[in-house]
Amino acid sequence: MQGVIAAFAELDSTVHAIEDLRKQNFKDISVFSPVPRHELEEAIAAPPSKVRIFTLVGGLCGVTFGYWIPIWISDYWPLVVGGKAIASWIPYTIIGFELMVLIGSLSTVFAMFALARIPRLTMTVGYDPRFSGGDFGVWVAAGPDRAPAATALLQKHGALEVRNER
Amino acid sequence: MATMAEPRPNVASAGNRLPAIQDYQQVDREIIGTLQPTLGWFAMLGTALLALLIGALSWTYQIHEGLGAAGYHPPVMWGVYIISFVFWVGIGHAGTLISAILYLFRAGFRTTIYRASEAMTVFAVMTAGLFPILHLGRPWKFFWLIPYPNWRLIWPNPKSPLVWDVFAILTYLTVSATFFYVGLVPDIAVLRDKETNPIRKRIFATLALGWRNSDTEWRHFTRAYLFLAAFATPLVLSVHSVVSFDFAMSLVPGWHATIFPPYFVAGAIFSGIGMVFTIIIPIRKFMKLEHYVTINDLDAAAKLCLFTSCVVGLAYLTEFQVAWMSGNRVEQEYFWNRVFGQWAWAAWIMLICNMVMPISLFSQKLRRNTTWLFILSIFINIGMWFERFVIVIPSLSHEFEPWQWGGYRPTWVDFGILIGSFGWFFMWFLLFIRQLPVMAISEIKEILPPKMKHAHAEAQAAVHGTIGHPITTDGGTH
Repeated sequence: MQGVIAAFAELDSTVHAIEDLRKQNFKDISVFSPVPRHELEEAIAAPPSKVRIFTLVGGLCGVTFGYWIPIWISDYWPLVVGGKAIASWIPYTIIGFELMVLIGSLSTVFAMFALARIPRLTMTVGYDPRFSGGDFGVWVAAGPDRAPAATALLQKHGALEVRNER
Repeated sequence: MATMAEPRPNVASAGNRLPAIQDYQQVDREIIGTLQPTLGWFAMLGTALLALLIGALSWTYQIHEGLGAAGYHPPVMWGVYIISFVFWVGIGHAGTLISAILYLFRAGFRTTIYRASEAMTVFAVMTAGLFPILHLGRPWKFFWLIPYPNWRLIWPNPKSPLVWDVFAILTYLTVSATFFYVGLVPDIAVLRDKETNPIRKRIFATLALGWRNSDTEWRHFTRAYLFLAAFATPLVLSVHSVVSFDFAMSLVPGWHATIFPPYFVAGAIFSGIGMVFTIIIPIRKFMKLEHYVTINDLDAAAKLCLFTSCVVGLAYLTEFQVAWMSGNRVEQEYFWNRVFGQWAWAAWIMLICNMVMPISLFSQKLRRNTTWLFILSIFINIGMWFERFVIVIPSLSHEFEPWQWGGYRPTWVDFGILIGSFGWFFMWFLLFIRQLPVMAISEIKEILPPKMKHAHAEAQAAVHGTIGHPITTDGGTH
């Protein structure tokens, strides 16, 4: 993918550059920042994360599985004591709860990995080590026809460095 | 901020919690600077390894000789191993409390201490998990407790608290280790980008999973972190409740009490905060991080310590009151024997260390005195080990009938394994603090004001609360 990457030292310049790029109808924009910031997220206007769906489904699967294991074991190997229930749901709630937390948490992490596309084997284009340090980065996809306009816009907002990447 | 007077170093104000830290680069430089091993660190690691060796040799001897090598003697068939199991699980509670519960409550003082506490949690639960195995006559068959299809056609009894323990401890270990690692990923990416040694760089690159600090990654990360914290919060409360069921589900005097779950959870958090002080005070001193973990942070943690001490103290007194009001002679005799009889020495160590000494934390001067906090934390660690001693041993040695009464004396094998557990815990912790950042780099950067081109805009935004507030708990939807 062809595009332009710019590094900024200041947060407000980055936010203004993204807003201007969006006004100029550049669609594919990514921001790199050492910390998550509301200002950048609002400027990018990305939809809410879908991690929550995986958390819910994982938690529900976990609690179902957590009740099912002890009930199945109790029926398979019944311990009949004093006419009490062979499968008693009250103590099994502990196992149900623990597995809800376990599978819900693991599916949350799986969702984060899947949606954020990690683990990533190569860093691909549009990354600079300084984005984990103190600088903010803006990557914008632009073909040869639009790259000069994007470069000019990023420079206008005070980018420390702008370079074309492919 | 431009109009404000320059704050004195290390004195927090409402607008700036870490005034001695100027920018993101300083955070990277100072935290990564702590990763250089020193002679003192090697000496401590050597001591930890020696302690671990003592534990390993003691266990080898025990496996060869059988469980009789430990101090088990009827009627006391639970001893140092179960005491230490509950002790280490308890230590493991403060980390998740600080990293998850205080995260949801947005307590600012957690930011600089949570990474060390979280590491402490993971290593403490790893230590705790060894003790039920050490306590088995045939330790190599511990996995029989996990219900999985097998040709033995044997299944564990899911109505037994010991099986609940397996689920609770394994879930806690997995979730706290996952939470710990997920939080570390952005920081390992910083190490990867700064590292010059090619081998270490490759290792960090693998551990960082290709993290690029992009907006997509942060968006899903903050949301996932929030949900993990939301899951970890009830988990913390459940795990020590389940551990307390090991006792409370029995009919033994002193154990058969409904107060046990909250009593155990409060005790666990109290002991964990004690251990947090034991490790964070030397870390901030020897790694020169006093301007990160400020006195204000320690003061706030000391208040939490005081609060949990009061809850634990109330639980101790309630136990006596319940025994007194119950009209049950066995229960009354048991508690009399605990405080004034056979086990008075242990009970008073517990009461003085856990109930009396922390009262000193009502004094602000002492809460802000790191030497006192460190000394107190050692007493809390000792007191909380003895709390578990007082729960386990006196009950088993003084059951219903006089012919059931007896004594307990641990052997050198018990002490060897106890020393070994400290060696195991501190070995992992010491390795951690010199390989990975002991403070959360990205979260500390979140509380620093970002660089702005227009100082006027920043000041205005700070007043209106629009700029200068990083995404923390809500994952970016507000």
